Amino acid sequence: MRRYLFFGVHADPPPWLRRLAAALPFVLLLALYLGASQLRLAENPDDKILPSLAQMADAVQRLAFRPDPRSEEYVMLKDTTSSLARLALGVGLSAATGLLLGLNMGLFPGMGAVLLAIVTFVSIVPPLAILPILFISLGVDELAKVALIFLGIFPLITRDIYNTVAALPREQITKALSLGANELQLAYRIVLPQVMPRLIETVRLSLGAAWLFLIAAEAIASTDGLGYRIFLVRRYLAMDVIIPYVLWITLLGYLIDWLLRLALRRLYPWYQA
Amino acid sequence: MHKLIGLIALLAAAALPGAALAQKSFDVCWSHYTGWEPWAYADEKGLLKKWAAKNGISVKLTLVNDYVESINLYTAGKYQACAMTNMDALTIPAVGGIDSTALIVGSFSNGNDGIVIKKGAAVKDLKGRKIKLVQFSVSHYLLSRALALNGMRERDVTLVNTSDADIASLFLAERDGAAVTWNPMLLKARSGKDVTLIFDSSKTPGEIIDLMVVKSNAPDTLKKTLAGAWYETMAVMSGQDKASRDALAFMAQKAGGTLAEFEAQIKTTRMFYKAGEAAAFVRGPELRKTMEYVRSFSFEHGLYGQGAKSKDAVGIAFPDGGTLGNAKNVKLRFDAVLMQAAADAKL
Amino acid sequence: MNTTEQLSALRQKNLLHIENVYKQYGARVVLDNIDLSVARGELCTVVGPSGCGKSTLLRIVVGQEAPSSGDAFIEGAPAGYPDATRGIVYQKYSLFPHLTVLDNVLLGKVLESSIFGRVRARREHRDEAMQMLERARIAEHWKKYPHELSGGMQQRVAIAQALIKKPRIVLMDEPFGALDPMVREDMQVLLLELWEEYGMTVFFVTHDLEEAVYLGTRVIVLSQYYIDDRGAAAEQRGAKIVADHALPRRAFSTSVKSSPEFIELAAEIRRAGFDPTGARHVTQFNLSHPDSFQTLTAAESRALRAQEGP
Repeated sequence: MRRYLFFGVHADPPPWLRRLAAALPFVLLLALYLGASQLRLAENPDDKILPSLAQMADAVQRLAFRPDPRSEEYVMLKDTTSSLARLALGVGLSAATGLLLGLNMGLFPGMGAVLLAIVTFVSIVPPLAILPILFISLGVDELAKVALIFLGIFPLITRDIYNTVAALPREQITKALSLGANELQLAYRIVLPQVMPRLIETVRLSLGAAWLFLIAAEAIASTDGLGYRIFLVRRYLAMDVIIPYVLWITLLGYLIDWLLRLALRRLYPWYQA
Repeated sequence: MHKLIGLIALLAAAALPGAALAQKSFDVCWSHYTGWEPWAYADEKGLLKKWAAKNGISVKLTLVNDYVESINLYTAGKYQACAMTNMDALTIPAVGGIDSTALIVGSFSNGNDGIVIKKGAAVKDLKGRKIKLVQFSVSHYLLSRALALNGMRERDVTLVNTSDADIASLFLAERDGAAVTWNPMLLKARSGKDVTLIFDSSKTPGEIIDLMVVKSNAPDTLKKTLAGAWYETMAVMSGQDKASRDALAFMAQKAGGTLAEFEAQIKTTRMFYKAGEAAAFVRGPELRKTMEYVRSFSFEHGLYGQGAKSKDAVGIAFPDGGTLGNAKNVKLRFDAVLMQAAADAKL
Repeated sequence: MNTTEQLSALRQKNLLHIENVYKQYGARVVLDNIDLSVARGELCTVVGPSGCGKSTLLRIVVGQEAPSSGDAFIEGAPAGYPDATRGIVYQKYSLFPHLTVLDNVLLGKVLESSIFGRVRARREHRDEAMQMLERARIAEHWKKYPHELSGGMQQRVAIAQALIKKPRIVLMDEPFGALDPMVREDMQVLLLELWEEYGMTVFFVTHDLEEAVYLGTRVIVLSQYYIDDRGAAAEQRGAKIVADHALPRRAFSTSVKSSPEFIELAAEIRRAGFDPTGARHVTQFNLSHPDSFQTLTAAESRALRAQEGP
């Protein structure tokens, strides 16, 4: 029987080929960019739209490794810590709230009756549409930005946890009660640990939206942050800053996702995704 | 990741060199601002088409909803001409190596940009405040000038980069707010309780100039078309007759406000209705001083980009043949020839 | 016929007592006037065709569902919601996936402690839990998580988990239903051993007739196949207990399954409960177990009197 390397449903690419295949689109993308950049720069050496790799490296050098002459701060570090702090606070609050609400809604029918409709309602409100309201009512400081992330993702986390809890077999709950659990123990010793890995999964899925909300909030009114910088230098078309920042955000997002995946595997070996 | 792919695809598309210069059809863009609303009139009332026909070309005028985006698109090569201020003409296309000419000096801000404050009465009261503004815009420039005139520095305040769409409502919602912005947001911000206008562009007249900028290598036919259509519109607008009132009402409606609001904004905009006045302004000595302020500000704020070693990196040419900065790398040109031709009715 | 005094005595004496229990979902009647009393130490199996309401009956005993009418009692007191008086082993979902084998067994003990006493409770009861696991012959897997075990191993842990609480009665809902025949026989033998060793009372629901007859000291047949005098309405009637046998305790060896008495009893039960054509009248059920009782409705009483004649 012939073994196909790459084509067809029977293909079984060896590891080296898989890695090569995975790298291919990236290489193509890079080549496309470099080609286009060179073309433009040949025509106009001052062109800012497709900066060369050297120009971008210069920009990164200036922003990341040299203190800003005016504020004496490392700009990229400051932007990163500010943005990550907002993201962590927003996502952390969402996760805690979503876990608490979803757990109680799913386990206690009375809580579900009170909260399900309102949480569903809130989850349908487009957060970006109420952004001006947030800024006007909460001010232009950190609170509004964290609130946007929070409002954007906590309803989804809540609903997901609710669904997870509601889908737990009824037998499990009866079983726990038959082993002498009271209702508090049922919620926090039996159900809570079982939904924790699902919470991590949900947070992983929500992070994309959280970044979007973070950057949108930083674009509207801010004094620092990754989104702030991008929208600021857009003012003079500094693509040599914007492109590295976009790559940096992508890398940060990937790293956070990887850390969460690692935590999931380490902390919850029994959980099969 | 897809964000990045989208970006690169977009830029690769933009990378195809603009072969439009040899063509007979041209794309021109503008964005909403009091001093540029006449472009909507010129386009929709057929004046632009008439002048294009006269010059044997066709011109498509596009309204771009975002001011900075319109300049970026011009710089990227999608448009051959675009409405912008003198400062943005320097820091975006000129610094980006696009040789640009200020074809028409339409007006300058004479109170259209201003600084408002709550619980305060003078520029000195800005000390320690958080000031909302669009950073690196003419608002930023105006603030910088106001601070300098009052012996203060930017370090004395905190700047909050704020989207112009939300700036007025955010300012009004805060108890001790301060903001720098332009009309119509300025009008809205001033309407609040306890709000004082502590500085406006009439205190530094002629420094924030509203232009129609065109690629220097664009053919004369395009330049003539734009100048012709503009000054015909100016003539209609400045007449004291029904046509003038109709034109103002049309522009007010295009700007999304009432006639009274638009007229109030026109009052704080020094319109050059007569081409001769504009030509004289461009030839005058003040423009050179203004551009010196503007380029110093721009360089100090990093708007020249990382490559620039000094504010002389980019040259600015004036009608008398003089230049500011590197005369071998002139990228922004103030030229009175076509305005003069319009004044002499020789277009 | 049972007098009120007799019934009351039965309720007090026996561990599990069910009287006049009906259960219906909307218009569909599932259980129709169930009367049942189970003494301490009994290994009572409930068998019946699928869909006859065995699991519903078990859920009522557990307290997971309330009867539409009638009452269930544990040691003479109303059964109420699920609690530690009744241990449960399900076919699936008995084990908590996030706990190791040992922690699953320890859970019943750990839940007795406060949040702060948790660590101590684990330490104190560890030996007991390990002993339980030894009995269930699964001790060497104490570190594993449930998903790492086979179905039979999981049920061993589930039994140990239920027994550590020393419940008054252990309720089992098709616990071996999903296992291979070989493993199932092992588990049956294990259950009998543990039943004898701990003197447990077991209420065991199964659809497997052989299993019911092999394990039980008492076999209850629940079936919707019976005749009464309700006419057309009878189409929607629920299941009744159609037979109730006391069985002699034989040797644990599974070889009894091929003995003639065993086969004959199984065949009789099959006729009584699993075969629509063999349906008997409500007044003629074989309710030979001494604890068996039947509260007849007014119509059934009339039918009985008519049969017995003047």
